[in-house]
Amino acid sequence: MNTLPLGLYARRLATLLGVLGLWQLSAGPLGWVDPFYLPPPAAIGATLVQLFADGGIYSHLEATFGAALMGLALGLLVGALCGFVAALVPLLAELLEPVMVLLNAIPRVILAPLFIIWLGIGIGSKVALSFILVVVLTFFSVYNGIRAVDASLVERVRTLGGGTWVLLREVYVPSVVSWVMSNLRVSVGFAFTGAVVGEFVASTRGLGYLLSFAQSTYNAALSLALIFLVVVVVMLLFAGAGWLERRLLRWKYR
Amino acid sequence: MLQISQLALAYGDAEPVLEDIDLGLAEGEFVSLVGPSGCGKSSLLRAVMALQAPSSGRVELAVSRRAVGFLFQDDALLPWRSACDNIALGLRIHGAGKRAARAQAHEWLELVGLAGLGSRYPRELSGGQRKRVAIAQVLALRPRLLLMDEPFSSLDAIVRHYLTAELLQWVEGEHMTVLMVTHDLEEAVALSDRVLLLGNGPRAHIKQEFAVPLARPRDLLHVRREPQFAPLSARLWDALAQEVDVRHRRIAQPDDDVDMAA
Repeated sequence: MNTLPLGLYARRLATLLGVLGLWQLSAGPLGWVDPFYLPPPAAIGATLVQLFADGGIYSHLEATFGAALMGLALGLLVGALCGFVAALVPLLAELLEPVMVLLNAIPRVILAPLFIIWLGIGIGSKVALSFILVVVLTFFSVYNGIRAVDASLVERVRTLGGGTWVLLREVYVPSVVSWVMSNLRVSVGFAFTGAVVGEFVASTRGLGYLLSFAQSTYNAALSLALIFLVVVVVMLLFAGAGWLERRLLRWKYR
Repeated sequence: MLQISQLALAYGDAEPVLEDIDLGLAEGEFVSLVGPSGCGKSSLLRAVMALQAPSSGRVELAVSRRAVGFLFQDDALLPWRSACDNIALGLRIHGAGKRAARAQAHEWLELVGLAGLGSRYPRELSGGQRKRVAIAQVLALRPRLLLMDEPFSSLDAIVRHYLTAELLQWVEGEHMTVLMVTHDLEEAVALSDRVLLLGNGPRAHIKQEFAVPLARPRDLLHVRREPQFAPLSARLWDALAQEVDVRHRRIAQPDDDVDMAA
């Protein structure tokens, strides 16, 4: 879609390497910063390698991924369904909209302790937090999307003889898909935030748990290694979401 | 083919837009509706298509509603469907199988001069091409009665001329009955058997009727050189100008007019 010129990539890479080099030197031979607070990149890299080498990271990755993806899937499904129905049934909109507006207004991560009380420190509470973050976003994008469906498209299909079923299949569902997809990347970010924050609050597994552990042991290298890992994972998921979006919305991007 | 009797149409509790509309179309007749803008021409078409329920009066069709085609002013094609699929959609709704609909859609693409562009999405077509897809979408269903709401108003003059000429051929060839709303008086005379002048709204009704005694089939270029063409267009102009003039005077001196104050 957007192909950046090679020179730009080269300049960006050079800058990154420069910053990393300076960092490495300042925390090492130059002695400008205390490596206890800001460990050099090499140390962070070594921590990462070790995490993967002893295999301990995998169960944590699995826990976080599992919670985030389950929360994401449920949030997308329930949010799209509720938004869809609310947009078509005014009575339901009357009931659902205030709840969603309220949930949208508050920082939803404050619900984390409550979910842990209700669902325990297992994966359930993390899925719930991911879900609640994603579902509100999806609800509004679909709800507003459906209500903004071009009335002339609806009339066009009607005049061709299409009934409710055809309207749903040809006009409403494609509109919903388009709205959900254009929010997919944000939803992925939200889902991970939910899972990690949930683990942060109370858990026995997951990247959030490891982060919390790193903090309590004053292990800055582990903290930075985990942050790096989360960034890479989320970027990969972003790329996946982008690919899916371009595929499903080919009529928009081709 | 179409009989409208004593039709009135109002939006909500407002004063009716249209009132006392009586209009009959014989089979194969081409009738145009002209009138000051905002007088309710489009609303009348929408009432015929059952997109708008009349507040009183009746719309009777000699054919089933499925045999009525509606060509809109805009070209609202489904953006997520290719040109071919947009045409096939109507055929599928009318009961054609997937393959048959596709095959027919391809034939229609060729007929409207878009062979090879079937896989393009509406976004990837020009305004004129989209209009052609919209025409094919409607004509592919073989309508007996065709309703058109300023179908070519958004196109430039050349494209408009060619599309109108092609459409006229279809209509005459298939002996379709047409009710068209237009603001182009010469187009109305060139295409129609009768031109109806709708008065100012609210409570607009048919003020005058002009028969167009030009032979068919017509050639869109030559018909304008017929001796009757110019005087007829001029009469139509004068009649419409009078309506528009009345309204302008009403707006200029609103106190003189009880209707406007209401």
